[in-house]
Amino acid sequence: MVKRMKSEDIDQLKDRFLKEVKKENSSKERKKICKRYIEEELSSVFCSLKNLSGERKAEIGKKANELRKLISDLLENEKEKVFQAEKEFDITLPGKNVELGSIHPITKLQKKCERIFLRMGFAIAEGPELENEWYNFDALNFEEDHPVREMQDTLFVKQKNREELPSQERFLMRTHTSPVQVRYMKDREPPFRIIVPGRVFRNEATDSSHEINFYQLEGLMVGENISVANFRSVVGYFFKELFDADVGIRLRPSFFPFTEPSFEVDVSCSICEKKGCSVCKKTGWIEVMGAGMVHPNVLRSADVDPSYFNGFAFGLGIDRIAMIKHKIDDIRLFYSGDLRFLRQF
Amino acid sequence: MKLSYDFIQSFFKEKLPPPDQLADLLMMHFFEVEEIQRTRDDFVLDVDILSSRASDCLSHMGVAREIAAIAEMKYSLPERRVKEGREEIFGKVDVEVKDDCHRYMLRGIEGVKVGESPSYIKKRLRSCGVKPINNVVDITNYVMLETGQPLHGFDAAKIEGEKVVVRRAKKREKIVTLDEKRYELDEDVLVIADEFSPIGIAGIKGGIVPEIDKSTETVYLEAANFDSKSIRKGSRSVGIRTDASLRFEYGIPCELAEVAMERAVAMICDIAKGKALKGVIDYYPEKTRRPEISFEAEEVRNILGVEVPLKNMEKILRSLEFKVQRNNNAFYVIPPYFRLDIKEKEDVVEEIGRTYGYENIKEDPPREIIVPRERAGEFLAEEDSKRSWEALGFFESYNYSFINEKMSFPFNRKELIEMEKPVSLEFKYLRPSLLPGLLRNLRDNEMNFKEVKLFEIGKVFRKKEEEVSERKMMALLSSADDFHEMKGKLNKFFERILIDEVSYNECEDKGGLFNEHHVAKVLYGGEVIGCFGEISEDIRKRLKLKSNAMMGEFDFEKVQELHKETKEYDPVSRFPSSRRDIALLVPQETLYDEVLQKIRKAGGKTLRNIELFDVYKGKEIPEGMKNFAFRLYFQHKGKTLTSKEVNRMYEKIIAVLEEVSDWKVRK
Repeated sequence: MVKRMKSEDIDQLKDRFLKEVKKENSSKERKKICKRYIEEELSSVFCSLKNLSGERKAEIGKKANELRKLISDLLENEKEKVFQAEKEFDITLPGKNVELGSIHPITKLQKKCERIFLRMGFAIAEGPELENEWYNFDALNFEEDHPVREMQDTLFVKQKNREELPSQERFLMRTHTSPVQVRYMKDREPPFRIIVPGRVFRNEATDSSHEINFYQLEGLMVGENISVANFRSVVGYFFKELFDADVGIRLRPSFFPFTEPSFEVDVSCSICEKKGCSVCKKTGWIEVMGAGMVHPNVLRSADVDPSYFNGFAFGLGIDRIAMIKHKIDDIRLFYSGDLRFLRQF
Repeated sequence: MKLSYDFIQSFFKEKLPPPDQLADLLMMHFFEVEEIQRTRDDFVLDVDILSSRASDCLSHMGVAREIAAIAEMKYSLPERRVKEGREEIFGKVDVEVKDDCHRYMLRGIEGVKVGESPSYIKKRLRSCGVKPINNVVDITNYVMLETGQPLHGFDAAKIEGEKVVVRRAKKREKIVTLDEKRYELDEDVLVIADEFSPIGIAGIKGGIVPEIDKSTETVYLEAANFDSKSIRKGSRSVGIRTDASLRFEYGIPCELAEVAMERAVAMICDIAKGKALKGVIDYYPEKTRRPEISFEAEEVRNILGVEVPLKNMEKILRSLEFKVQRNNNAFYVIPPYFRLDIKEKEDVVEEIGRTYGYENIKEDPPREIIVPRERAGEFLAEEDSKRSWEALGFFESYNYSFINEKMSFPFNRKELIEMEKPVSLEFKYLRPSLLPGLLRNLRDNEMNFKEVKLFEIGKVFRKKEEEVSERKMMALLSSADDFHEMKGKLNKFFERILIDEVSYNECEDKGGLFNEHHVAKVLYGGEVIGCFGEISEDIRKRLKLKSNAMMGEFDFEKVQELHKETKEYDPVSRFPSSRRDIALLVPQETLYDEVLQKIRKAGGKTLRNIELFDVYKGKEIPEGMKNFAFRLYFQHKGKTLTSKEVNRMYEKIIAVLEEVSDWKVRK
């Protein structure tokens, strides 16, 4: 048996609709309600009108049409409102601020260098920053009492009767990461492939390009028949990855007590593509690295027999590369702890 | 060193490449040319002569020889020959310091007419930054710039007695130098003396007494070779550095003395119209031996990684004036006298490599076996730690490894490591802690930022007795957090790097860095790994800090040791959890930790989580009491708990808490 529709049913439907619509305060939702009533509730009312006849049909039909008019007017109205509201919605208002921290640009660059060398099978080693003179100079073939030692602007630890102590007991702040070469090789068997990132020190007045402490990345590869051509390949790949560009390198003769032959390594300027700019001082090349084939005396210091093994070593200034990459004009910013600087990384 | 282009040209008949091309050539095969300067009548090339080649290339002759080899040009030393007169040289040389003086030559020239130098000498001297004085003095300087050998001329008439002595200065002995400055000497300094008093500081500067002037007729010329260490010591002791002392400090070959002497005497005879006295006084007890080096062509190829044709190798070495014997692939070479830097095979390989040109060496990937070595674990801990602090809103700071006197007060003076003559007093001590650096950062940033949150990982340095040591530490500072907020962040940090179960304990502050009531030490398994707390009032006053802040410092080497890479998964229970709240009244001095331990013990494994959501004092709470509001979560791994089961556990916890007198669960 089918329940017969009465005119009160339409009144109830209307009440229910109005109640539902009033409860909702978003135009979008009200729109949805209107649609639902027209498409579902009212259409089923009109469907069941077929089964009625006469006066009742006319009465209910009229009421239902009035309700449909009411709802569709409301729908029009709401559509307008929604349209208005969406017009007012400003996607250009600023996003809500989220405070995150940051990692120092030197750390970031150091990690990048490490990842490149790790891919080439290099291990990471570390050594003390407070070093003794033997590792920092003697073991690296610096002649005793030679002007070369003065070139390093060494920062020494104040010690009583320093002159009389053996070099193993005379302390200084390491002037380069190279002492770790000898420390690492001393108690291991070749072959070696390491990088040594770390802080180094120079006792010189600070200015926009000099700091009392800064960062170096040392590299060392020792084995049987390691050549300058091998060095070119390893370092060439490194710089391409580091600058993310097809940069070239060139070697110029140089001198370091701990390498023979020694080179300065220049990398082609990735900023101007060798056309000449302020970074490369119009030469198209940037000096980035000191390097060379490990001096046999250094291998001897580390108890490695130079008649069987040889290799290359290099030292890269991390601060300088970071300055080039980020276009930073003052090295002191790295050690300032200034949030206006740190926040940018 | 400043080199005159015109001077270099004098060694070549052919025309040199233009200065800029010459500079490029030198840069790729020899040394860097820092600057080319054009003067009125010359070009000046400022070449950065590296110390290994100071013994032969602090001279125009040396650089010209290099150019000849790399540009394949023909070089010749302009000929100078002395024609001796009949008159014999008079006098004697007495070298008292055999270890400090390897050679001492004297020659004499009589009938000298002191006057102005010819213009080509004056021009070349000026290009090199040397002021012309008179022809005799100019010639000694000119020949030094030409050959690298320092020379010194005296007026023979002004020397007392019959001999020249090379000896150590006596204590407090005095001398007035050519520039009319008075010096008091000591035993570290070598002097050239006549029979009575010093006439010059050996290898460093001449004295004014035997100065050559217009009245000079007979000149005695000295060409000596002093030990580099002795000159260095002497030069430091008197505080004078000259072009001569610089060359001796780096060391020059003994043979150079006779080359330079011959040239200088010939020039003086020619230009100042003198007549050379017959004979040379020459103290030269021991001739320097040159190394003999043998190697195979294959060794060169192995090191350079390029096949340099045998003929090229031989040609390069001969052009650099090596004596070369070759038997097929086997080389036997002796370096020329002026190359003190060539000692073994590798040195010869460098000569071949740079002259041949490094640009001719192509990339060749190494074929070494990769032997896996140390794991990178400890470096991972550092990376993870830095990432965690970044995520917690902290900025990584890098501070100097040094502190000044002002920042040193909280630390034990005996433990501080002091620097010897730092460039600035800002760098007087090595930092014994990272905190002074972060405090400095707080002060500097306060002006621009309301909140300062920083961290640093770095080395600190201390000494015990005379034993020095360094340790890697981690420090934090935040002006945005109170004590418990900071503690929450620390917990989050340790959780993220997988160090569970750190605990906190009261601690006494040693140096007054922290507020003594708001400081805690952090422990792992009973071992202290660091501490944190609020900055003390004293520090705030001393540093004029506006804001209050929390800070802490941790032994990072311990953190590295405890850090784990992999976390074990804790299975998510499929069964729902139930929640019960407890309000507990306790005396105000009762610590949260005591209550927590009790609840935890009573609740057992099924009590999954305990949340303290409120601590309340005040209205409705009896005097001297406080209210802890806990929310307890019960969950079983293997079944759904019925409310009866949950209630039973809940009641048990309440009972345990109420066993303590003074504690009361509010219902």
